[in-house]
Amino acid sequence: MPPETSTAGRGRTLPDDQALLQVRGLQKIYDTDGGGIEAVRDLTFDLGRNELVCLVGPSGSGKTTLLKCIAGLLEPTSGSVTLDGRQVTGPPKKMAVVFQEYGRSLFPWLRVDGNVELPLRNAGVPKGERRRLVGEALESVGLTHAARQYPWQLSGGMQQRVAIARAIAYQPEVLLMDEPFAAVDAQTRADLEDLVREVRERLGVTVLFVTHDIDESVYLGTRVVILSSSPTVIQEDIEIDLPEARDQLETRAMPRFTELRHHVYEQIQLAKQGFRPDETRVG
Amino acid sequence: MRRALTAVGFALGLPVCLVVVWWFATRTSANPFVPQPVPLVTTFLDTWFGDRFASDVVPSISRFAIGAVVAVVLGVVIGLLIGLSRTLRAFTEPTFEFFRAVPPPVLIPILGLLIGVGDDMKVAVIVLGAIWPVLLNTIEGVRAVDDVQSDTSRSYGIRGMNRVRFQILPAAAPQILAGVRQSLPIAIILMVISEMFYTSAGLGFSIIQFQRQFAIPQMWSGILLLGLIGFAVSMLFTLVERRLLRWYHGLKDLENAS
Repeated sequence: MPPETSTAGRGRTLPDDQALLQVRGLQKIYDTDGGGIEAVRDLTFDLGRNELVCLVGPSGSGKTTLLKCIAGLLEPTSGSVTLDGRQVTGPPKKMAVVFQEYGRSLFPWLRVDGNVELPLRNAGVPKGERRRLVGEALESVGLTHAARQYPWQLSGGMQQRVAIARAIAYQPEVLLMDEPFAAVDAQTRADLEDLVREVRERLGVTVLFVTHDIDESVYLGTRVVILSSSPTVIQEDIEIDLPEARDQLETRAMPRFTELRHHVYEQIQLAKQGFRPDETRVG
Repeated sequence: MRRALTAVGFALGLPVCLVVVWWFATRTSANPFVPQPVPLVTTFLDTWFGDRFASDVVPSISRFAIGAVVAVVLGVVIGLLIGLSRTLRAFTEPTFEFFRAVPPPVLIPILGLLIGVGDDMKVAVIVLGAIWPVLLNTIEGVRAVDDVQSDTSRSYGIRGMNRVRFQILPAAAPQILAGVRQSLPIAIILMVISEMFYTSAGLGFSIIQFQRQFAIPQMWSGILLLGLIGFAVSMLFTLVERRLLRWYHGLKDLENAS
């Protein structure tokens, strides 16, 4: 069994001085003509510095809603998100988001380097500094040669690399990724997964990675947070005790990888069948 | 090089054929109302490239240019403000449909009384007619800006004027320029019509005057000049649009190819 299992319906929490991102009792109800729809009911968990936490859950479990609340793009109905001790009320400067729809997130009228540069230009970073950051970010995603192309001239995987480079150049402390590789092919996906691991190690950023792919979550994460079906609470929060250096072939062949994968799979099946940790706690 | 020549050949083919047919058909004509190609060219040069160039052609074209620029700038600015606000959109759109339906020429007598019969009035008529396609297209272009694009801007702290400059304007540019393309011919038409009332100079005035004096070849040469101005404006616009929207045409070509 995983070592740090949480109390029912909540994720692992850390002391205030160790937590970088704190989510407390987050609830989001969408107002619609047919009354309120409760997408997220009650989410509590913490991200420590340099963790790579994967959020998995059945489809429609409010993963994107949660991520948007954390990113300051949506206002939660109740509860709070705190980054580095300060409550998030709008998009924080120390955060960057990589969206699933790279084609819509990159600006088609800017070339690759222009896209990576734009957030820095907006922030008033001096030109020399900008050029250096853009160059470094493009190099770290292996796209130096494509700097002068337009994003739509590139393949899907390369476009998502541009979006990642844009996030890196912004120098965030927290990188939020919303199913970033759902729309790219399997081989590109493996490369991009390793790129995310590498970026986290090299730059020391903390990553929250939303995915619906169980294998991906176990392979990438230092922790996996499993969400229940909607209205969402936390089904389980488990530590991934695999060796720090991950390898697409070796890690995936480890018995422990298979065990963890099984465990997450079972939990998601339970979630799909309507099992809810908050109800079992009551009953 | 060869491709460019072919393109020029295609573009000139039909005009050349039409001129040849016209020349043959009017070769022996004695009808004073029907123009002939060669005399028309000489009349054209004699009529418009003498004193009239400074007294009629330049003032008309300046009024057209000022009117078109004011219409585009106002249309884009107002369109941005309205497009960005759902409340303003709901508030203004039905009214705009009404104003848009009023043909600007009917306002000329009223405007003549209200703001006088000078250049101001003529520019105002051009603006009142030419602003609508730009305004309505800008509103629509701004409204249709992609949500993910806007979330991206917000998450990177791109707000306010910077958002307009870095995201909204470029994203709405294809639609805005489609509006400008519709506006320019309207501006030319209104330039001519506004000069048919209370005036003693300008292209519209001259053509009407030639007509009334039965100076038929001169009248035809004025019509030819208007056609040429329209053509030049359209070419100029295409040149600017191709430059501004190079990314957009590239993107569309790629989408069409796949």
